[in-house]
Amino acid sequence: MNASDEGEELDPRAAAALLEETTRRAQRQFDLRRPLLMVIGAAVVLIAYGVLWLSVREQHPYSGPAGWALAVLYSTLLVWIIVVATFYRRATSGVSGRSARQQKADAAAFIPIWITVYVFQGALHHAGASHAIVYGIYPAAAPIIIVGSAAAAYNVAKENWPWVGFAVAAVALAAIGSFAGPAGVWAVIGIGLCVLLLARAAGQVWLRRA
Amino acid sequence: MTTEELDPLIHVPARLRIIATLAALPDGDALSFTRLQDMIGLTPGNLITHLRKLEDAGYVDTEKTGNGTASRTTVALTHVGRTALDTYTAALRDLLAGL
Repeated sequence: MNASDEGEELDPRAAAALLEETTRRAQRQFDLRRPLLMVIGAAVVLIAYGVLWLSVREQHPYSGPAGWALAVLYSTLLVWIIVVATFYRRATSGVSGRSARQQKADAAAFIPIWITVYVFQGALHHAGASHAIVYGIYPAAAPIIIVGSAAAAYNVAKENWPWVGFAVAAVALAAIGSFAGPAGVWAVIGIGLCVLLLARAAGQVWLRRA
Repeated sequence: MTTEELDPLIHVPARLRIIATLAALPDGDALSFTRLQDMIGLTPGNLITHLRKLEDAGYVDTEKTGNGTASRTTVALTHVGRTALDTYTAALRDLLAGL
């Protein structure tokens, strides 16, 4: 195609198809929340929570995840961070302006929320709370409850209802999963969050095709 | 309704793709010339020619920052351009409905 296509006769049907295809492709390339990313996230959650559950399921009394399980967890998280960063860099390459600035501000706002989660875990340890709480129920459920609630509020402000539903479902899952005890909570939240992410990915694909 | 009533500035494959690509960005965002070229698949010369026509009509806004090898050109769809695309899309829909 070149500048000389000026005089090219463009059939209305061809124009409509070209417009739809170009719009769809561009939206997909700019999309920061791709379904594939959610599917990978589902696998990461299942592996991370799964190995932690495997390392604690036979513990009586509960002492917390084993070193090997934490090593697998941090390795999986590292892979996840690299995958997300790669997707993000590709999607935002060459994009500047209001939304790029907003994304940085949003990310900065969530950092203190994450820090608060772990400061509070330290406070629980300092106050003499049991291992079942400090290294079981709290680290499995609290990050999802606290960060998920903040994400729900953020998406309500943006009127992004599918993500509001996802965040609220994740918070409810973590709260209910806490009743499974310090070992069971890892399995319940791991499987539940994996299912939620897969459902969200399927919903996004369906919405795009509708 | 006939094809003559479609905005002739948009009703050209290359410019339709440029406008549709820029419209996929949120309002207030701009795209670098190189990423736009990569997404559209035009040569730099052709892209510049089409962008100039769209800029003359007030549909896009180009901004160049820096000098020499560090220079960077960004392209953004203006409100006029977004409205023109909406009008074009509606006209195209009416035209197809009548076929």
